[in-house]
Amino acid sequence: MFKQNKFTVSHAPFWHDGDSIKEMNLNIMAAALPAILFGVIQFGMAALGVMCLSIASAMAWEALFCMAAKRQIVIHDYNAAVIGMLFGMMLPATIPWWAVITGTFVCVIVGQQIFGGIGANPFNPAVIGIAILTLSWKHLFDFDTALVNYQLAFTALDPLAALKHQGPGVVEMFPLSSLLMGSQVGAIGSVFGIGIILGGIYLIIRGYIRWEISIAYIAGIIITAWIFNITDPAKYATPMFHLFTGYTLLGAFFLANDSSSSPINLIPMFIYGVMGGFMTILIRNIGVYPDGTVYAILLINLINPLIDKIRPKAFGKGCKQCVK
Amino acid sequence: MIKRSFIGLTEPKLKCDLVEPGPKEPEAIPIPPRLILLLNEPLDSTKEILVKKGDMVKKGERIFLYKESKEYVSAPVSGTITTVAPFTGDFGELATYLVVETNAKQDIDKSFTESISIPDIQTANSYLRGIAGNPPLKLLAEAADGAKSNGINIKKIIISGIDQDILCTTRQFVLTRFRDELSKSVAFLKQLTGINDISIVMPDALATLSAFNGMNIVKISSDYVDSLSPMVMDKYLGIPFIPNKSCEELGVCFISIEALFSLVKSYSEKRPVYEKIITIIDKKGKKSRVSATIGTPIHRIFTKIGVETAEKDRIIIGGPLKGVAAYTLYYPVTPDMDTLMVQDSSIIPTISDYPCINCGKCVRICPANVPVNVLVRYLEANLYQDAADSYDLFSCIECGLCSYVCSAKIPIFQYIRLGKHELNKIELDMIKEAENV
Repeated sequence: MFKQNKFTVSHAPFWHDGDSIKEMNLNIMAAALPAILFGVIQFGMAALGVMCLSIASAMAWEALFCMAAKRQIVIHDYNAAVIGMLFGMMLPATIPWWAVITGTFVCVIVGQQIFGGIGANPFNPAVIGIAILTLSWKHLFDFDTALVNYQLAFTALDPLAALKHQGPGVVEMFPLSSLLMGSQVGAIGSVFGIGIILGGIYLIIRGYIRWEISIAYIAGIIITAWIFNITDPAKYATPMFHLFTGYTLLGAFFLANDSSSSPINLIPMFIYGVMGGFMTILIRNIGVYPDGTVYAILLINLINPLIDKIRPKAFGKGCKQCVK
Repeated sequence: MIKRSFIGLTEPKLKCDLVEPGPKEPEAIPIPPRLILLLNEPLDSTKEILVKKGDMVKKGERIFLYKESKEYVSAPVSGTITTVAPFTGDFGELATYLVVETNAKQDIDKSFTESISIPDIQTANSYLRGIAGNPPLKLLAEAADGAKSNGINIKKIIISGIDQDILCTTRQFVLTRFRDELSKSVAFLKQLTGINDISIVMPDALATLSAFNGMNIVKISSDYVDSLSPMVMDKYLGIPFIPNKSCEELGVCFISIEALFSLVKSYSEKRPVYEKIITIIDKKGKKSRVSATIGTPIHRIFTKIGVETAEKDRIIIGGPLKGVAAYTLYYPVTPDMDTLMVQDSSIIPTISDYPCINCGKCVRICPANVPVNVLVRYLEANLYQDAADSYDLFSCIECGLCSYVCSAKIPIFQYIRLGKHELNKIELDMIKEAENV
């Protein structure tokens, strides 16, 4: 009677489905593993070094910023690790160490923390980092010079740069099967098409990314590239070539899907994805940059808040009886 | 606890439990030496109080706090009042807490027995409020009496044989156990209220029982949110849901099946029925049923049927998605307590102060199409009015699924209820002010 147990008192619901941000991020990292492992095998220890430095420095920047801002340090949710990992996947294997550390600073601090941290970033942080780095040190992202010392068993040319400079005649030099199997010059995590697709499908099945965005993005790429291709095949490459080169697949399954900068309603997701694919091909075919994925994703991140207002009517709204 | 499945592509579908086939009779809990009664009126030291420590009450006697009081609680046993204390509910509702010590000699208050020659809603309202199942007598009586109706005009009564949460089965048990008395009871309800439009909602699995032939039955699927009142009205009865309007304001009154049978039994046995049937779910998920007198402290039930509770466990009144947590085992059995659940401290999920990461799971699972991801940002910033105006706060039907799936573990459901509560409070204050002017 006198010794009473103290009970946990809180509000409903008393159940939870057991999911967490950490779980989500671990799954994203697991899904990216095949592509990264392939990159490490293809480009050697240098690639592993870049990946490790990128992930580690991203986490360190987040921890440092949280300390400076007197926030709770939450690097154990692997949010910064995922940003660092995606950033590292988009880098050439030979990039200097200072560029990686500067890049992750831009990603984590400028891309996310100054907006308020996780969930508040208007753009995909990793894409912000890559965009600023490519603008600042353009030569570092010239994959042909970056990988000039490698002895590769396939055409050692960056497919998209070759396309830009020499026209669609080069497409024949890159058979689709070898592009898919990773026999191409490119960034650490973006060359192995099959690996990225498998990872993406895994994430879709687990429900950690929204399939509508990935499918719409790929559809946008294929449709736009196909329209360009049939109007002038001598000037524009085939859709499949665009799909399996550059950051396209990475964009479709990992970059465009960043949860806080992408829409969540059905129609907006399709608009967002298709717009992304459309802009990518527009920049590649008409713009000056060989690969438009990065800027296309920043552009669709920008329109996300606006288009995400297209949503179904809430329960009981829009009926005749409604007074207001 | 139902966890997320490996394949997360499709949203989780939660099913309501069905009552087990051939349920056992509920175990009767003996009347305890002390009963705790909650009276729905706050203590006010400026008025002269009628109940005092040491007062004797008879079984069935109504206890009023003040001379002009309309609210009462009737004593399920005859005994002595030993405590009169203030009590605060979940959202700060003020009430009064009375402890009645049971006397050995049971005196029965005869005033109800003497006044029930014909069933009449006003008499029922003045004697039978707070019987097992908590029938909405006050509402029905006020709606029937034109002067007090406040514009509420009840045209339809729905007898609810479905439970309000996924693990609860009490109403289904009552429905199947007393199914042969249902048609008689419906006729009684028609006579009592004068309302002829009465439907019975029940799970479709039970509706096939032959006892229900020829009755006005609405079959409800076992998907979780279909059992909630706004969904029943909108999806099954074709009465469109209007945000911020209760079912009563739309002319529909819900009465639980247990409340109906208690009413009928009170009239046929000429005494108010205080034995409430409760489903108990222990830590392992095993269900048992008891019949306890209203006011029994819940530790009596747990001791009697051997449910153990330890430090930091959670005692849940109601189901896992919509219930409330009790902080003490001295919480009494209340007229509408259908389910009691004990959750082990090791499996209690945590909540966090993470911001929304916009993963969209809540929006996909929301049965009311509320843009939960934006709504929760407004609610976190205390912008309740904006949340209601632009982001459909009042469309929420309070199912709790958004918090159940939230990856960031934000207490979304609580934010929503708080937002609604604050806005309603402001509205009430404005009405009060206008009246004073």
